[in-house]
Parts: sequence; C-alpha cells; structure tokens
Amino acid sequence: MKRRTLLQWLGGVAGAAATAPLRAIRVFAQPRELTHESVATLYEIAATVLPASLGAAGVRAIADKFVARTRGYREGVALSHGYGHPRLQRSGASPVPVYIAQLAALAAEANVRGVRWPALDLDTRRRLLDAALAKANIRGLPARPTGQHIVSDLMAFYFRSSEANDVCYSAMINREVCRPIAITTRKPEPLARP
Amino acid sequence: MSVHETDTLIIGGGITSAMLAQKLAEIRPGRTITIVEAGRSIFDTQNRGRYRERAMEYGEHPWHGDYIEDQQAAGIISMTMAVGGLALHWGGACNRFSQEDLRLKSMYGLATDWPIEWTELERYYCEAERRLNVSGEPSPHPEDRRSQPYPQGPIPLSYNLQILKTWAERSGVKFSPLPMARNLTPSGGRDACCVYDTCGEVCPSGARYSPDYTFRQLLEPKKIVLHDRTLVRRLTLDERRSTIVAAQGVHQERPADPIEYRAKTFVIASGYCWSSHLLLLSANARFPDGLANRSGLVGRFMNGHTFINATANIDDQTFPGQNITHSLISREYFRCPTNRPFVRHDTRVWESSAGRDPRLRASDGTLLLGDELMADWRSRTKGSSVRLRAYVDVHPSADSRLTLDPSKKNRYGDPLPTIEHRLDDATRAREAATRAHVQGVFAALAKASNGRIVNNSEGDYLDHPGGGCRMGTDPAASVCDSFGRTHDHENLFVVGAPTTPTGGCTNGTLTFVALTLRSAEEIARAS
Repeated sequence: MKRRTLLQWLGGVAGAAATAPLRAIRVFAQPRELTHESVATLYEIAATVLPASLGAAGVRAIADKFVARTRGYREGVALSHGYGHPRLQRSGASPVPVYIAQLAALAAEANVRGVRWPALDLDTRRRLLDAALAKANIRGLPARPTGQHIVSDLMAFYFRSSEANDVCYSAMINREVCRPIAITTRKPEPLARP
Repeated sequence: MSVHETDTLIIGGGITSAMLAQKLAEIRPGRTITIVEAGRSIFDTQNRGRYRERAMEYGEHPWHGDYIEDQQAAGIISMTMAVGGLALHWGGACNRFSQEDLRLKSMYGLATDWPIEWTELERYYCEAERRLNVSGEPSPHPEDRRSQPYPQGPIPLSYNLQILKTWAERSGVKFSPLPMARNLTPSGGRDACCVYDTCGEVCPSGARYSPDYTFRQLLEPKKIVLHDRTLVRRLTLDERRSTIVAAQGVHQERPADPIEYRAKTFVIASGYCWSSHLLLLSANARFPDGLANRSGLVGRFMNGHTFINATANIDDQTFPGQNITHSLISREYFRCPTNRPFVRHDTRVWESSAGRDPRLRASDGTLLLGDELMADWRSRTKGSSVRLRAYVDVHPSADSRLTLDPSKKNRYGDPLPTIEHRLDDATRAREAATRAHVQGVFAALAKASNGRIVNNSEGDYLDHPGGGCRMGTDPAASVCDSFGRTHDHENLFVVGAPTTPTGGCTNGTLTFVALTLRSAEEIARAS
C-alpha cells in the first residue's frame, strides 16, 4: 500500500484505531519532532558543516531555524507541478524519523571512539560525514532540503539562503527579499561586518 | 437539469476571458455575461505571502488545488486549471510580435499570413498594454514604432542588468528592458513591485498582473456571473440552423444535476488546448468531426516556438539575486531580409549564478565543510555568468495536432486530449542553419567582453503555445475569421491563443490579449 493511500485509509478509520493493523499503528508512532538528544547532536555537527565565521551563536541560530523547519513540514502536500513537462507530485513522509536515525548513527561513530562529535579531529569528521552522505546517495548540494540526509539538508538550508548569498558576495543583495525596486538599480552595499 | 440564461457565455477563465469580460462589460453594460471555468477560484490574495514562503522553503505549490487531476492533457505545458488560468503564474512578459509574423507567406513564402493588418493589431496592442499596465521602453528599432507610449516607463534595470546591457551591446546588438505587466506604482487594485522575484510562481503584492484581480473587480459590482468548478462538456446546435443554442456543463460537486447554459453568443476562451478539445468533443450527426470543423482544421497547426539556451562566462562583475525575473530583450533578429536564409528570433539576457553556486565537493572530490565551502564558493564568484535564450520562429505542419485519446477519459467519460507538435518541412530543413545562427549570435555577445559560451542547450517542447483554431479568410483553410468568429457557426467565437496561425518568436500573451480585445468589439456587435 502506498503511503498516501495508507494515510487516507488511516483518516477513514481514525475512530477505530484499536482495530488497526500493527503496520498502521507504527506509522502513528513515528516521531514528528527531533528529540532533545538528536538536536544536541545536530548542534555539534552544525559547528562542523556551517561556517565557523558565523560565530557559535550564529551557527546555533541557523540550526534552530532548521529544527523549526522540520516542525513546519507537511506530508502529502502538492508540490510545484512545474512548467513544460508538468507532473503532479506530493511531499513525502516527514524526514524526522530518518533524521533522528542519521544523527544517532553519526553520534554512535563518535561514541565508539570514546568521544563526542566535537572532539573528533577534522579529518575523521570529514571522513564520517563523507561516508554518511555517500550512503544516502548525496552527490551535490541540494537546491533545498530533500529529506535524504540531515547533514546535506542543513547545509542546503543555509548555503542556499539569501543570507549566505550575501555573505559569499560580501554585499547586501537581499535576493528574493521584498524591497523597493530602486535599491536594485545600485551596486549592492557592502555587507556590514558584525 | 438546471438552466442558466445569459447574453454572452464565455467558456474558460484565463487572461483572455478576463480581458474580454472587462471590455464587454464596458461597451455593452446592459448585457449579461457569464463565465464558466472548470477550475476553482483562488481569490485569497492575503495569503499569497505565506504561500510563497512555503513554496520557497518546502517546494509546495503556491496555488492550492489549481488543477483537476482527471482533466489533464498529454503534451500540455502546465497543469493549472483555475480562475486566472496560466496567467496566475506567468512571468508577465509583454512583448509584441512584429509585422513579419503577420506576413510570413507573402514576404518569405512560408507558413501563412494572418488575416489582419499590422496597423490595426498595433492599436489593440496599445489597448492590451494599457489594460495590463505594461511597463516598457520603446524599441530602438524604427520598425517597432508605436502609436501610443507605454502606460508606464520601463522597469528600472538592476545594477546587474545595467552591467549586462553594456556588455551585450558591445557586440553591436541593441537591447531594451523586457516589457512586463508589472506595477511600478500601485494601480488597478494591485500594489507596486517590491522584487519578491518570484513572478513566475506567485506574486504576493499583485504587482505582476494576474486575471483573478480583474474577475474580482467585475464580480463585486455584479458585472459578470462566474460559475467556477464547472466543466463545459459539449456545445449543442440549433435543430435546423448552424447556430449554437446551449452549452452543457456540470459542476464538480453536483454531477447528477447538469447545467444547460443558453446564450445568444458563445465564446470559447479556453486556451490552446481546451478550446479545440471542446469543439472536437461537441461532434454530432451534422458535424461528425466536431463543431466549427468543416475545414477539418480544428486541433491542427498547433504552434509555439522552440528555444535555444546558453550560458556565458564574462569578466564583468555582477551580484546574482538582484532581480532574477527581469531580463533584457533584443528585437534585432525579429526581421530577416527576404534575400537571406530565413531565421527569426528574439534574444534574451538574464543575470545568472550558473556554475557559481555553492557546491558540496571541491573539484578533486573533497567534501567541503563550513568555511571551506564558503571560501570555495567565493573563489568562483569572480566575473559573472549570463543566461542567454532565443525564442525561435518555427512553423507548424497540419499534422501538429490535438486529438482525442479514447484510452484516457475524465470522470464523465469524455476522452482527453493529446497534443503532438510537428514542424513543417521548411522549418525542419533550416533547423541546423537556425541553430548555427543563434549560437553565432551568442558567441558574438560573449566575445565582445572577453567572455565565452560554457554550455548550450535546446528546449524539448514548444513554448508559449497556440493554434488549433487558426484564423483566416478562407473557410476551407481556417477555423475562424480574424475576429475569432467560427466560419461554421455565426454565434460561436474562439479567442486568444488558439486562433493564432503561427507562434512568433517571443512571448505570446500580449498578442493573445490584443487579438481578444479586437474580437470583443465584434462579439459586442454580435450580441
């Protein structure tokens, strides 16, 4: 049974959950939010994969926004159906269970070495992340989070943002931010340094 | 069965429907106008900012429920079926065609001529630009002379486009800001542009024209009646004459209670796909091949234009993200001397970050982390990428068709359409020369500023499609006259994209609207 069909079916029998098959109950049991433990690991990994030049508070703020994004995720919603060769697609299952498992696996890699993630040397962290992304079949930086791997999703969340674009160009471009059109006619102002 | 009577019935709720209804309500205020649209109304403009955020963050479609899952066509370019049509999420480009588009046969011996004079069409271009509040700059080419100025000055060029204009014009080709239906100041109940830069998805400010605003403005004072979520499945003929007496519709939620629409005048404003589809579906004993189809040309000569893309790398520095949806346009190659091999195309220039976006791995495959990734990204931002495109004038063959596919049916059992575009022999014969010409233009642009073309590609569908009910003076070689009045039924009109004999070499919407505004006067006379 396809997941969407399953969810529709579940909606129809919500009042009779006690008689639902075990498979359906397991879907109900899927976590909708990252656990405290997984968020703690996410903070640790964010410090590696996001620019340290943002400062610890800046990295933490981005990680928090990413966590908030996972809460706002909606399943089964129609995605942009495109132009030219349109097709109907819907958002998939919440990535949260996958994220939790991926974070736990990365934390376990540190644990077997007897340390927490930040204590690993950079080469080891890079090797572990590389292996994790390869396992998830991540080849490039996604255009936006896809749910395939939490590390590439966190990186896409930041590096694809208007904010990161400004940091990269050291200029206040404010891509896709509502602003008077006259501002765009001038060379962007240099980005103010904190 | 419910019965609904009206003076003019407009079938379809897109941009041509909105413009037609608006003009009819002005010039025939006492007549009743009913619009029937298969899709739903999406009038919650106050939520569009939030929908845009969800679209950007999660990829969600910002137009909820703007499609009907079992009312789709193979070969269509958008699934949207809602009040406002495809113009809910168009980019807003408002380019005019040129005189050559109307005289392909007489000037070049190609395709066919349009049954309308340029000077007359030009008047309606002016009207269309006024109604859509187009922002533009007069073309530098004297052949593009206008009888009235644009209602708004041009969209101010971003710093990036100023840099790119200087670059592009070093080649000797002249460029202008793309004319767009985008408010620079509040107008028509819509706000001014504040560069959300998602025109082609959703415009939260309403600065980019969309027909839902017009429909709402007509509905409030009861100038029109709108029946949305209602599919017109058939047109029926008078028992003795060739006039249309009714349209048979069904509301999505009341399938057991069909609606019969009775009108004096029927107008099909259902776009390039569903207009032909309805005529073919309406076949009967007297018109076994479909209504308005004694010529056998309904669903034929489906047109559009091909497009060729390239990315150039140049030395000049830009800052990607200033105004991605605006572009430069050159009309230099709208005209082709008659003593040279035929090639016509527009030339478009956009800012771009292609090849300069953040990447996960360095060239040697090393996974980049944190500041390394930012440094790698920054190291690749020197100079600029430029996105280039040419929309190329190509001509359909009679076999460029929309047909009914009996194997695919909607919930009511009606066969759905399939569109298969085919180009005529002359177009196919010059394909390689056209490609070489366009790539040569791109290379000349790049070369003028120490640039180079880093990739080329071509579209695999015809963009800005039209046709299927082409207009003409000969009833044996066309479906309708220059006003869209079908040759076979005096009270049945088709307007907009389906009536175009050929697809031009630039965005078609302004032309579809101009033709419709011209039709409106004849429709008003008829009703």
